[in-house]
Amino acid sequence: MQIRVAAGAIAALVLVGAAQAPAARPAQTEPAAPSAVPRTADGRPDFSGIWQALTTAAWNIQDHQAEKDVPGGQGIVEGSDIPYLPWAVAKRNENYKNRLTADPLASCSQPGVPRIMYMPYPFQIVQTPAYIALLFEYTHTTRHIRFGGAHPPGPIEWALGDSRARWEGDALVVDVVHFNDRTWFDRAGNFHSEQMHLVERFTLPGRDHIRYEATVEDPKVFSRPWKMAMPLYRRIETNVQILDYECQSFGS
Amino acid sequence: MVRWDSGRALRRSALPAVLLALILSGSNGPAAGQTPAPFATPPPGSPPAKIRPYGEVGGCPEEPALFHRCATEKAKTFNPPRTPDGVPDFQGFWGRAGIRNMENIEEHPETMDGSGGRSAIVDPPDGRIPYQRWAAAKRDAHFSTYLDAAQLCLPHGSPRFAYGGTKFVLQSRGYVFMLNDYADTYRIVPTDGRPHLGASIKLWEGDLRGRWEGNTLVIDVTNQLAMGPIDHVGNFVSEFAHVVERLTMIDRNVIHYTATIEDPRVFTRPWTIAFGWRRNTSPDTEMWEQGCWEGVQFALKHTDYGLKRYPGAFAK
Repeated sequence: MQIRVAAGAIAALVLVGAAQAPAARPAQTEPAAPSAVPRTADGRPDFSGIWQALTTAAWNIQDHQAEKDVPGGQGIVEGSDIPYLPWAVAKRNENYKNRLTADPLASCSQPGVPRIMYMPYPFQIVQTPAYIALLFEYTHTTRHIRFGGAHPPGPIEWALGDSRARWEGDALVVDVVHFNDRTWFDRAGNFHSEQMHLVERFTLPGRDHIRYEATVEDPKVFSRPWKMAMPLYRRIETNVQILDYECQSFGS
Repeated sequence: MVRWDSGRALRRSALPAVLLALILSGSNGPAAGQTPAPFATPPPGSPPAKIRPYGEVGGCPEEPALFHRCATEKAKTFNPPRTPDGVPDFQGFWGRAGIRNMENIEEHPETMDGSGGRSAIVDPPDGRIPYQRWAAAKRDAHFSTYLDAAQLCLPHGSPRFAYGGTKFVLQSRGYVFMLNDYADTYRIVPTDGRPHLGASIKLWEGDLRGRWEGNTLVIDVTNQLAMGPIDHVGNFVSEFAHVVERLTMIDRNVIHYTATIEDPRVFTRPWTIAFGWRRNTSPDTEMWEQGCWEGVQFALKHTDYGLKRYPGAFAK
Protein backbone atom coordinates (compact mmCIF):
# COMPACT_ATOMS: atom_id res chain seq x y z
CA MET A 1 0.00 0.00 0.00
CA GLN A 2 2.72 2.43 1.02
CA ILE A 3 4.74 1.40 -2.02
CA ARG A 4 1.79 2.10 -4.28
CA VAL A 5 1.23 5.50 -2.71
CA ALA A 6 4.91 6.30 -3.08
CA ALA A 7 4.87 5.14 -6.67
CA GLY A 8 1.85 7.33 -7.36
CA ALA A 9 3.58 10.26 -5.71
CA ILE A 10 6.67 9.73 -7.78
CA ALA A 11 4.57 9.53 -10.93
CA ALA A 12 2.92 12.83 -9.95
CA LEU A 13 6.33 14.30 -9.24
CA VAL A 14 7.52 13.31 -12.65
CA LEU A 15 4.51 14.99 -14.22
CA VAL A 16 4.95 18.13 -12.14
CA GLY A 17 8.68 17.97 -12.59
CA ALA A 18 8.20 18.02 -16.33
CA ALA A 19 6.73 21.48 -16.00
CA GLN A 20 8.67 22.77 -12.97
CA ALA A 21 12.21 23.01 -11.77
CA PRO A 22 13.23 19.68 -10.22
CA ALA A 23 13.47 21.23 -6.73
CA ALA A 24 10.79 19.13 -5.01
CA ARG A 25 12.26 17.06 -2.17
CA PRO A 26 11.16 13.46 -1.75
CA ALA A 27 10.39 14.20 1.92
CA GLN A 28 7.52 16.40 0.84
CA THR A 29 5.95 13.66 -1.20
CA GLU A 30 5.98 10.84 1.39
CA PRO A 31 2.69 10.02 3.03
CA ALA A 32 2.43 11.21 6.63
CA ALA A 33 4.00 8.59 8.87
CA PRO A 34 1.46 7.05 11.26
CA SER A 35 2.13 8.54 14.71
CA ALA A 36 4.21 5.99 16.57
CA VAL A 37 2.36 4.15 19.30
CA PRO A 38 4.40 4.08 22.50
CA ARG A 39 5.40 0.64 23.69
CA THR A 40 6.63 -0.79 26.97
CA ALA A 41 9.95 -2.59 27.40
CA ASP A 42 8.13 -5.89 26.86
CA GLY A 43 6.68 -4.64 23.56
CA ARG A 44 3.09 -4.03 24.64
CA PRO A 45 1.20 -0.85 23.77
CA ASP A 46 1.96 1.59 26.58
CA PHE A 47 -1.21 3.17 27.95
CA SER A 48 0.65 5.14 30.64
CA GLY A 49 -0.41 8.74 30.90
CA ILE A 50 -3.26 11.05 31.81
CA TRP A 51 -6.49 10.56 29.85
CA GLN A 52 -9.98 11.96 29.72
CA ALA A 53 -13.21 11.21 27.90
CA LEU A 54 -14.80 14.05 25.96
CA THR A 55 -18.28 12.63 25.63
CA THR A 56 -21.43 13.69 27.46
CA ALA A 57 -22.08 10.03 28.36
CA ALA A 58 -21.82 10.66 32.10
CA TRP A 59 -25.14 12.53 31.74
CA ASN A 60 -26.66 10.12 29.26
CA ILE A 61 -25.02 7.28 27.32
CA GLN A 62 -27.70 7.64 24.64
CA ASP A 63 -28.49 10.52 22.27
CA HIS A 64 -29.88 13.43 24.24
CA GLN A 65 -30.64 17.08 23.73
CA ALA A 66 -29.33 19.83 25.95
CA GLU A 67 -30.99 20.76 29.23
CA LYS A 68 -29.96 23.34 31.79
CA ASP A 69 -26.41 22.45 32.90
CA VAL A 70 -26.45 19.32 30.71
CA PRO A 71 -24.74 19.54 27.33
CA GLY A 72 -26.51 17.79 24.49
CA GLY A 73 -24.67 14.84 23.06
CA GLN A 74 -24.56 11.86 20.78
CA GLY A 75 -24.74 8.50 22.49
CA ILE A 76 -21.93 5.98 22.91
CA VAL A 77 -24.21 2.92 22.69
CA GLU A 78 -23.65 0.87 19.55
CA GLY A 79 -26.93 0.80 17.60
CA SER A 80 -28.22 3.43 20.06
CA ASP A 81 -30.84 1.13 21.71
CA ILE A 82 -30.30 -0.51 25.09
CA PRO A 83 -32.10 -3.88 25.10
CA TYR A 84 -33.86 -3.61 28.46
CA LEU A 85 -36.22 -6.33 29.60
CA PRO A 86 -39.77 -4.95 30.07
CA TRP A 87 -39.55 -4.58 33.88
CA ALA A 88 -36.23 -2.80 33.49
CA VAL A 89 -37.65 -0.17 31.12
CA ALA A 90 -40.08 0.83 33.86
CA LYS A 91 -37.26 0.93 36.40
CA ARG A 92 -35.07 3.04 34.11
CA ASN A 93 -37.98 5.48 33.59
CA GLU A 94 -38.47 5.76 37.34
CA ASN A 95 -34.74 6.35 37.79
CA TYR A 96 -34.89 9.10 35.18
CA LYS A 97 -37.80 10.79 36.93
CA ASN A 98 -35.93 10.78 40.27
CA ARG A 99 -32.46 11.30 38.84
CA LEU A 100 -31.55 14.46 40.73
CA THR A 101 -31.74 12.64 44.07
CA ALA A 102 -31.61 8.96 43.10
CA ASP A 103 -28.42 9.15 41.03
CA PRO A 104 -25.74 7.52 43.26
CA LEU A 105 -23.54 10.53 42.53
CA ALA A 106 -26.02 12.75 44.34
CA SER A 107 -24.84 11.17 47.61
CA CYS A 108 -21.21 11.17 46.47
CA SER A 109 -21.09 7.41 46.02
CA GLN A 110 -18.65 6.12 43.42
CA PRO A 111 -19.81 6.18 39.80
CA GLY A 112 -18.57 2.59 39.45
CA VAL A 113 -17.43 0.91 36.26
CA PRO A 114 -17.98 1.76 33.44
CA ARG A 115 -19.31 5.25 34.30
CA ILE A 116 -16.05 6.33 35.93
CA MET A 117 -14.35 5.83 32.56
CA TYR A 118 -16.34 8.70 31.02
CA MET A 119 -16.78 11.10 33.91
CA PRO A 120 -15.62 14.55 32.77
CA TYR A 121 -12.49 14.37 34.95
CA PRO A 122 -9.02 13.10 34.07
CA PHE A 123 -7.46 9.85 35.24
CA GLN A 124 -3.95 8.45 35.15
CA ILE A 125 -3.00 4.98 33.89
CA VAL A 126 -0.03 3.29 35.60
CA GLN A 127 1.05 0.26 33.59
CA THR A 128 3.33 -2.52 34.75
CA PRO A 129 3.67 -5.99 33.14
CA ALA A 130 1.57 -7.70 35.81
CA TYR A 131 -0.77 -4.98 36.98
CA ILE A 132 -2.42 -1.76 35.83
CA ALA A 133 -3.77 0.96 38.11
CA LEU A 134 -6.30 3.56 36.98
CA LEU A 135 -6.20 6.55 39.32
CA PHE A 136 -9.23 8.80 38.87
CA GLU A 137 -9.48 12.41 39.96
CA TYR A 138 -13.21 12.02 40.66
CA THR A 139 -13.59 11.01 44.35
CA HIS A 140 -10.11 9.41 44.25
CA THR A 141 -11.50 6.26 42.69
CA THR A 142 -8.82 3.60 42.17
CA ARG A 143 -9.22 0.70 39.75
CA HIS A 144 -6.93 -2.31 40.20
CA ILE A 145 -6.52 -4.34 37.00
CA ARG A 146 -4.52 -7.55 37.33
CA PHE A 147 -3.08 -9.78 34.62
CA GLY A 148 -3.64 -13.46 35.22
CA GLY A 149 -5.20 -14.94 38.30
CA ALA A 150 -8.87 -15.81 38.45
CA HIS A 151 -11.66 -13.62 39.75
CA PRO A 152 -11.99 -14.31 43.47
CA PRO A 153 -14.97 -16.54 44.23
CA GLY A 154 -18.10 -14.47 44.82
CA PRO A 155 -20.51 -13.33 45.75
CA ILE A 156 -18.73 -9.99 46.14
CA GLU A 157 -20.41 -6.67 45.39
CA TRP A 158 -18.16 -3.80 44.45
CA ALA A 159 -18.85 -0.53 42.63
CA LEU A 160 -15.82 -1.14 40.42
CA GLY A 161 -16.08 -4.91 40.15
CA ASP A 162 -13.09 -7.25 39.99
CA SER A 163 -10.93 -6.66 36.91
CA ARG A 164 -8.69 -9.34 35.31
CA ALA A 165 -6.75 -8.50 32.17
CA ARG A 166 -5.20 -10.30 29.23
CA TRP A 167 -3.60 -9.26 25.96
CA GLU A 168 -5.24 -10.14 22.66
CA GLY A 169 -2.55 -9.00 20.25
CA ASP A 170 -2.28 -5.27 20.89
CA ALA A 171 -5.66 -5.08 22.62
CA LEU A 172 -5.87 -4.96 26.39
CA VAL A 173 -8.95 -6.98 27.29
CA VAL A 174 -10.34 -6.62 30.82
CA ASP A 175 -12.95 -8.98 32.19
CA VAL A 176 -14.97 -7.45 35.04
CA VAL A 177 -17.45 -9.16 37.38
CA HIS A 178 -18.60 -8.82 41.04
CA PHE A 179 -20.58 -5.60 40.71
CA ASN A 180 -23.22 -4.22 43.01
CA ASP A 181 -26.62 -3.09 41.76
CA ARG A 182 -26.29 0.43 43.13
CA THR A 183 -24.33 2.21 40.39
CA TRP A 184 -25.79 3.68 37.21
CA PHE A 185 -24.37 4.09 33.72
CA ASP A 186 -25.30 7.77 33.67
CA ARG A 187 -27.34 10.58 35.18
CA ALA A 188 -30.30 9.52 33.00
CA GLY A 189 -30.97 6.43 35.12
CA ASN A 190 -29.61 3.73 32.84
CA PHE A 191 -28.71 0.89 35.19
CA HIS A 192 -27.57 -2.70 35.63
CA SER A 193 -27.80 -5.40 38.29
CA GLU A 194 -25.19 -7.19 40.38
CA GLN A 195 -25.09 -9.81 37.62
CA MET A 196 -23.39 -7.48 35.16
CA HIS A 197 -20.42 -8.93 33.30
CA LEU A 198 -18.32 -6.38 31.47
CA VAL A 199 -15.66 -7.05 28.85
CA GLU A 200 -13.61 -3.94 28.17
CA ARG A 201 -11.25 -3.55 25.26
CA PHE A 202 -8.55 -0.87 25.23
CA THR A 203 -6.60 -0.26 22.03
CA LEU A 204 -4.15 2.48 21.13
CA PRO A 205 -4.75 3.58 17.53
CA GLY A 206 -2.45 6.58 17.98
CA ARG A 207 -0.15 8.11 20.53
CA ASP A 208 -2.75 10.41 21.98
CA HIS A 209 -5.98 8.46 22.01
CA ILE A 210 -7.30 5.19 23.30
CA ARG A 211 -10.27 3.43 21.79
CA TYR A 212 -12.39 2.13 24.67
CA GLU A 213 -15.10 -0.45 24.12
CA ALA A 214 -17.20 -2.25 26.68
CA THR A 215 -19.58 -5.14 26.11
CA VAL A 216 -22.31 -5.28 28.75
CA GLU A 217 -23.96 -8.54 29.66
CA ASP A 218 -26.59 -8.74 32.40
CA PRO A 219 -29.37 -11.31 31.90
CA LYS A 220 -31.35 -9.89 34.79
CA VAL A 221 -31.74 -6.50 33.10
CA PHE A 222 -31.02 -6.88 29.37
CA SER A 223 -32.36 -9.28 26.73
CA ARG A 224 -28.97 -9.52 25.01
CA PRO A 225 -25.41 -8.19 25.35
CA TRP A 226 -24.82 -4.66 24.06
CA LYS A 227 -21.82 -2.50 23.47
CA MET A 228 -20.58 1.03 24.14
CA ALA A 229 -17.52 2.65 22.58
CA MET A 230 -15.74 5.99 22.77
CA PRO A 231 -12.27 7.50 22.52
CA LEU A 232 -10.24 8.57 25.53
CA TYR A 233 -7.95 11.50 24.81
CA ARG A 234 -4.49 12.06 26.21
CA ARG A 235 -4.15 15.23 28.23
CA ILE A 236 -1.11 16.61 26.44
CA GLU A 237 -0.57 19.75 28.53
CA THR A 238 3.01 19.41 29.75
CA ASN A 239 2.12 20.46 33.30
CA VAL A 240 -1.10 18.45 33.64
CA GLN A 241 -1.54 16.50 36.86
CA ILE A 242 -4.39 14.76 38.61
CA LEU A 243 -5.95 17.12 41.16
CA ASP A 244 -8.85 16.13 43.39
CA TYR A 245 -12.63 16.26 43.49
CA GLU A 246 -13.70 15.05 46.94
CA CYS A 247 -17.46 15.08 46.58
CA GLN A 248 -18.44 14.47 50.21
CA SER A 249 -16.08 17.19 51.41
CA PHE A 250 -18.34 19.84 49.90
CA GLY A 251 -21.18 19.01 52.28
CA SER A 252 -24.77 18.63 51.20
CA MET B 1 -20.73 -2.06 80.03
CA VAL B 2 -18.98 0.07 77.44
CA ARG B 3 -17.89 3.46 78.66
CA TRP B 4 -19.26 6.21 76.49
CA ASP B 5 -15.82 7.55 75.70
CA SER B 6 -14.75 4.19 74.32
CA GLY B 7 -17.57 4.56 71.85
CA ARG B 8 -16.18 7.95 70.96
CA ALA B 9 -12.76 6.43 70.46
CA LEU B 10 -13.89 3.56 68.30
CA ARG B 11 -15.96 5.92 66.24
CA ARG B 12 -12.73 7.53 65.16
CA SER B 13 -11.65 4.40 63.35
CA ALA B 14 -14.06 5.09 60.49
CA LEU B 15 -14.77 1.41 60.00
CA PRO B 16 -18.33 0.94 58.84
CA ALA B 17 -18.62 -2.38 60.69
CA VAL B 18 -17.57 -0.76 63.94
CA LEU B 19 -19.96 2.10 63.38
CA LEU B 20 -22.81 -0.29 62.83
CA ALA B 21 -21.86 -2.29 65.91
CA LEU B 22 -21.95 0.89 67.93
CA ILE B 23 -25.38 1.81 66.68
CA LEU B 24 -26.68 -1.66 67.42
CA SER B 25 -25.12 -1.79 70.87
CA GLY B 26 -26.63 1.58 71.71
CA SER B 27 -23.35 2.86 73.07
CA ASN B 28 -23.82 6.36 71.72
CA GLY B 29 -22.45 8.89 74.11
CA PRO B 30 -23.86 12.16 75.20
CA ALA B 31 -23.36 15.20 73.00
CA ALA B 32 -19.91 16.63 72.70
CA GLY B 33 -18.47 18.42 75.71
CA GLN B 34 -14.90 19.39 76.45
CA THR B 35 -13.96 15.78 77.14
CA PRO B 36 -10.38 14.97 76.17
CA ALA B 37 -9.55 11.92 74.11
CA PRO B 38 -9.21 8.82 76.31
CA PHE B 39 -5.74 8.26 74.84
CA ALA B 40 -4.52 11.82 75.24
CA THR B 41 -0.88 12.68 75.84
CA PRO B 42 -0.07 12.59 79.58
CA PRO B 43 0.90 16.03 80.97
CA PRO B 44 4.56 17.10 80.93
CA GLY B 45 6.59 15.52 83.72
CA SER B 46 4.54 12.31 83.74
CA PRO B 47 6.43 9.02 84.06
CA PRO B 48 6.77 6.96 80.84
CA ALA B 49 3.39 5.65 79.68
CA LYS B 50 2.62 1.98 80.25
CA ILE B 51 2.61 0.22 76.91
CA ARG B 52 3.15 -3.22 75.47
CA PRO B 53 6.78 -3.90 74.51
CA TYR B 54 7.85 -3.23 70.94
CA GLY B 55 9.25 -5.88 68.60
CA GLU B 56 11.99 -5.74 66.03
CA VAL B 57 12.03 -4.92 62.33
CA GLY B 58 14.92 -5.34 59.87
CA GLY B 59 17.40 -5.80 62.71
CA CYS B 60 16.28 -2.59 64.44
CA PRO B 61 13.98 -2.09 67.43
CA GLU B 62 10.52 -0.96 66.31
CA GLU B 63 10.11 1.78 68.89
CA PRO B 64 10.19 4.98 66.79
CA ALA B 65 13.11 6.83 68.41
CA LEU B 66 15.27 3.70 68.65
CA PHE B 67 14.31 2.62 65.14
CA HIS B 68 15.24 6.02 63.76
CA ARG B 69 18.74 5.89 65.24
CA CYS B 70 19.36 2.29 64.13
CA ALA B 71 17.86 2.74 60.65
CA THR B 72 19.89 5.89 59.99
CA GLU B 73 23.05 3.80 60.50
CA LYS B 74 21.85 0.83 58.45
CA ALA B 75 20.84 3.03 55.51
CA LYS B 76 24.48 4.08 55.10
CA THR B 77 25.55 0.62 53.93
CA PHE B 78 22.45 -0.98 52.42
CA ASN B 79 22.42 -1.20 48.63
CA PRO B 80 18.75 -1.28 47.58
CA PRO B 81 17.32 -3.16 44.59
CA ARG B 82 16.90 -0.86 41.59
CA THR B 83 14.34 -0.28 38.84
CA PRO B 84 15.41 -0.42 35.17
CA ASP B 85 15.80 3.38 35.45
CA GLY B 86 18.45 2.90 38.14
CA VAL B 87 16.57 4.37 41.10
CA PRO B 88 15.82 2.40 44.28
CA ASP B 89 12.93 0.00 43.72
CA PHE B 90 10.31 0.49 46.44
CA GLN B 91 7.58 -1.39 44.60
CA GLY B 92 5.35 -3.75 46.55
CA PHE B 93 3.00 -3.81 49.53
CA TRP B 94 3.99 -2.07 52.75
CA GLY B 95 2.53 -1.72 56.22
CA ARG B 96 3.65 0.52 59.05
CA ALA B 97 6.01 -1.01 61.59
CA GLY B 98 6.23 0.10 65.20
CA ILE B 99 4.05 3.16 64.91
CA ARG B 100 1.04 2.70 67.17
CA ASN B 101 0.14 6.30 66.68
CA MET B 102 -3.01 6.58 64.60
CA GLU B 103 -4.85 7.67 67.73
CA ASN B 104 -2.08 9.98 68.98
CA ILE B 105 1.35 10.52 67.43
CA GLU B 106 2.67 11.66 70.83
CA GLU B 107 3.36 9.19 73.62
CA HIS B 108 0.18 7.85 75.16
CA PRO B 109 -0.68 4.94 77.43
CA GLU B 110 -2.43 1.76 76.39
CA THR B 111 -6.10 1.94 77.29
CA MET B 112 -9.11 -0.10 76.31
CA ASP B 113 -9.47 2.34 73.39
CA GLY B 114 -5.94 2.84 72.20
CA SER B 115 -3.00 0.60 71.48
CA GLY B 116 -0.61 2.84 73.43
CA GLY B 117 2.71 3.89 72.00
CA ARG B 118 5.87 5.89 72.42
CA SER B 119 5.96 9.17 70.57
CA ALA B 120 6.59 9.03 66.82
CA ILE B 121 8.32 12.40 67.18
CA VAL B 122 12.09 12.05 67.19
CA ASP B 123 12.83 15.77 67.13
CA PRO B 124 12.41 17.68 69.42
CA PRO B 125 13.91 15.05 71.73
CA ASP B 126 11.09 15.30 74.30
CA GLY B 127 8.77 13.76 71.70
CA ARG B 128 6.20 16.55 71.96
CA ILE B 129 4.82 18.59 69.08
CA PRO B 130 6.18 22.13 69.51
CA TYR B 131 2.84 23.91 69.25
CA GLN B 132 2.50 27.61 69.80
CA ARG B 133 0.35 28.19 72.87
CA TRP B 134 -2.89 28.97 70.98
CA ALA B 135 -2.38 25.93 68.75
CA ALA B 136 -1.92 23.57 71.71
CA ALA B 137 -5.23 24.79 73.15
CA LYS B 138 -6.88 24.35 69.78
CA ARG B 139 -5.56 20.81 69.53
CA ASP B 140 -7.00 20.00 72.96
CA ALA B 141 -10.45 21.14 71.84
CA HIS B 142 -10.46 19.32 68.51
CA PHE B 143 -11.50 15.89 69.76
CA SER B 144 -14.69 17.13 71.35
CA THR B 145 -15.55 19.63 68.61
CA TYR B 146 -14.87 18.17 65.18
CA LEU B 147 -15.38 15.05 63.14
CA ASP B 148 -12.19 13.39 61.95
CA ALA B 149 -12.10 13.74 58.15
CA ALA B 150 -11.34 10.01 58.11
CA GLN B 151 -14.91 9.45 59.29
CA LEU B 152 -15.95 10.94 55.96
CA CYS B 153 -13.41 8.76 54.12
CA LEU B 154 -11.49 11.79 52.91
CA PRO B 155 -7.80 11.59 51.96
CA HIS B 156 -5.31 11.84 54.83
CA GLY B 157 -2.71 14.29 53.55
CA SER B 158 0.83 14.44 54.86
CA PRO B 159 2.18 13.02 57.10
CA ARG B 160 -0.88 10.93 58.07
CA PHE B 161 -0.86 9.15 54.70
CA ALA B 162 2.36 7.40 55.77
CA TYR B 163 0.86 5.76 58.87
CA GLY B 164 -2.81 5.54 57.87
CA GLY B 165 -3.54 2.40 55.87
CA THR B 166 -1.30 -0.07 54.05
CA LYS B 167 0.48 0.96 50.87
CA PHE B 168 1.02 -0.44 47.42
CA VAL B 169 3.96 1.30 45.73
CA LEU B 170 4.42 1.36 41.95
CA GLN B 171 7.11 3.15 39.99
CA SER B 172 7.57 4.23 36.41
CA ARG B 173 9.98 6.61 34.77
CA GLY B 174 9.45 10.00 36.40
CA TYR B 175 6.85 8.84 38.92
CA VAL B 176 6.35 7.08 42.22
CA PHE B 177 2.76 6.02 42.93
CA MET B 178 1.52 5.11 46.40
CA LEU B 179 -1.86 3.43 46.58
CA ASN B 180 -3.44 3.26 50.02
CA ASP B 181 -6.10 0.77 51.10
CA TYR B 182 -7.58 3.47 53.34
CA ALA B 183 -10.62 4.78 51.43
CA ASP B 184 -9.01 3.70 48.10
CA THR B 185 -6.84 6.82 48.22
CA TYR B 186 -3.58 7.32 46.37
CA ARG B 187 -0.65 9.64 45.89
CA ILE B 188 0.98 10.49 42.58
CA VAL B 189 4.54 11.73 43.08
CA PRO B 190 6.24 13.11 39.97
CA THR B 191 10.04 12.96 40.18
CA ASP B 192 10.72 14.90 36.98
CA GLY B 193 11.64 18.16 38.68
CA ARG B 194 8.50 20.06 37.78
CA PRO B 195 7.64 23.04 40.01
CA HIS B 196 4.89 23.03 42.63
CA LEU B 197 1.35 24.15 41.77
CA GLY B 198 0.37 27.74 42.35
CA ALA B 199 -0.72 28.59 45.88
CA SER B 200 -4.42 28.87 45.04
CA ILE B 201 -4.83 25.15 44.36
CA LYS B 202 -5.10 23.23 47.64
CA LEU B 203 -5.41 19.47 47.64
CA TRP B 204 -6.38 16.87 50.24
CA GLU B 205 -3.17 14.92 49.60
CA GLY B 206 -1.18 18.10 49.03
CA ASP B 207 0.98 18.81 45.99
CA LEU B 208 3.71 16.17 45.94
CA ARG B 209 7.11 16.58 44.29
CA GLY B 210 9.69 13.82 44.53
CA ARG B 211 13.41 13.69 43.96
CA TRP B 212 16.14 11.14 44.56
CA GLU B 213 18.99 12.02 46.89
CA GLY B 214 21.30 9.02 46.71
CA ASN B 215 19.15 6.08 47.79
CA THR B 216 16.55 8.29 49.44
CA LEU B 217 13.23 9.32 47.93
CA VAL B 218 12.56 12.87 49.11
CA ILE B 219 8.96 14.04 48.81
CA ASP B 220 8.27 17.72 49.16
CA VAL B 221 4.65 18.41 50.16
CA THR B 222 2.94 21.79 49.92
CA ASN B 223 -0.55 23.07 48.98
CA GLN B 224 -2.31 20.88 51.55
CA LEU B 225 -5.95 21.63 52.17
CA ALA B 226 -5.31 20.49 55.78
CA MET B 227 -8.99 20.04 56.58
CA GLY B 228 -8.39 16.89 58.57
CA PRO B 229 -6.36 16.14 61.71
CA ILE B 230 -3.20 14.04 61.54
CA ASP B 231 -4.39 11.61 64.22
CA HIS B 232 -7.48 10.78 66.28
CA VAL B 233 -6.84 13.24 69.13
CA GLY B 234 -6.80 16.15 66.74
CA ASN B 235 -3.12 16.94 66.26
CA PHE B 236 -2.91 19.09 63.16
CA VAL B 237 -0.87 21.03 60.64
CA SER B 238 -2.19 24.00 58.69
CA GLU B 239 -2.63 24.72 55.00
CA PHE B 240 0.69 26.56 55.18
CA ALA B 241 2.63 23.45 56.25
CA HIS B 242 5.70 22.43 54.31
CA VAL B 243 6.42 18.76 54.86
CA VAL B 244 9.58 17.02 53.66
CA GLU B 245 9.31 13.24 53.72
CA ARG B 246 12.30 10.94 53.30
CA LEU B 247 12.05 7.24 52.47
CA THR B 248 15.16 5.06 52.52
CA MET B 249 15.38 1.29 52.30
CA ILE B 250 17.49 -0.24 55.09
CA ASP B 251 16.75 -3.82 54.17
CA ARG B 252 14.93 -5.45 51.22
CA ASN B 253 11.82 -5.51 53.35
CA VAL B 254 12.09 -2.37 55.48
CA ILE B 255 11.83 1.34 54.68
CA HIS B 256 12.94 4.07 57.05
CA TYR B 257 10.36 6.86 56.85
CA THR B 258 10.79 10.36 58.26
CA ALA B 259 8.78 13.54 57.83
CA THR B 260 9.88 17.01 58.89
CA ILE B 261 7.06 19.49 59.35
CA GLU B 262 7.67 23.19 59.03
CA ASP B 263 4.68 25.44 59.71
CA PRO B 264 5.79 28.61 61.51
CA ARG B 265 2.23 29.88 61.91
CA VAL B 266 1.43 26.89 64.15
CA PHE B 267 4.68 25.58 65.66
CA THR B 268 7.61 27.19 67.44
CA ARG B 269 10.11 25.14 65.44
CA PRO B 270 10.25 22.38 62.77
CA TRP B 271 9.68 18.85 64.06
CA THR B 272 10.28 15.35 62.76
CA ILE B 273 8.51 12.00 63.02
CA ALA B 274 10.15 8.67 62.12
CA PHE B 275 9.13 5.02 61.93
CA GLY B 276 9.37 2.00 59.65
CA TRP B 277 7.44 0.47 56.80
CA ARG B 278 7.55 -3.32 56.65
CA ARG B 279 7.06 -5.20 53.38
CA ASN B 280 4.16 -7.61 53.06
CA THR B 281 5.97 -10.54 51.44
CA SER B 282 2.89 -12.71 50.95
CA PRO B 283 2.95 -13.48 47.20
CA ASP B 284 -0.80 -13.39 46.60
CA THR B 285 -1.46 -9.99 48.16
CA GLU B 286 -4.00 -7.88 46.28
CA MET B 287 -5.47 -4.51 47.16
CA TRP B 288 -9.26 -4.57 47.00
CA GLU B 289 -11.93 -1.90 46.87
CA GLN B 290 -12.81 -0.56 50.29
CA GLY B 291 -15.87 1.48 49.34
CA CYS B 292 -15.44 3.50 52.53
CA TRP B 293 -17.93 6.31 51.92
CA GLU B 294 -20.49 3.90 50.44
CA GLY B 295 -20.56 2.15 53.82
CA VAL B 296 -20.20 5.11 56.13
CA GLN B 297 -22.67 7.64 54.71
CA PHE B 298 -25.78 5.75 55.77
CA ALA B 299 -24.67 5.50 59.40
CA LEU B 300 -23.27 9.00 59.69
CA LYS B 301 -26.39 10.66 61.03
CA HIS B 302 -26.28 8.22 63.96
CA THR B 303 -22.56 8.46 64.53
CA ASP B 304 -21.50 12.06 64.04
CA TYR B 305 -22.53 12.98 67.63
CA GLY B 306 -23.39 16.43 66.41
CA LEU B 307 -19.70 17.13 65.85
CA LYS B 308 -18.84 19.71 63.24
CA ARG B 309 -16.80 19.36 60.11
CA TYR B 310 -13.32 20.70 60.65
CA PRO B 311 -12.81 23.89 58.65
CA GLY B 312 -9.01 24.00 58.88
CA ALA B 313 -6.65 25.75 61.27
CA PHE B 314 -7.20 29.27 59.97
CA ALA B 315 -10.76 29.03 58.68
CA LYS B 316 -12.51 32.35 58.52
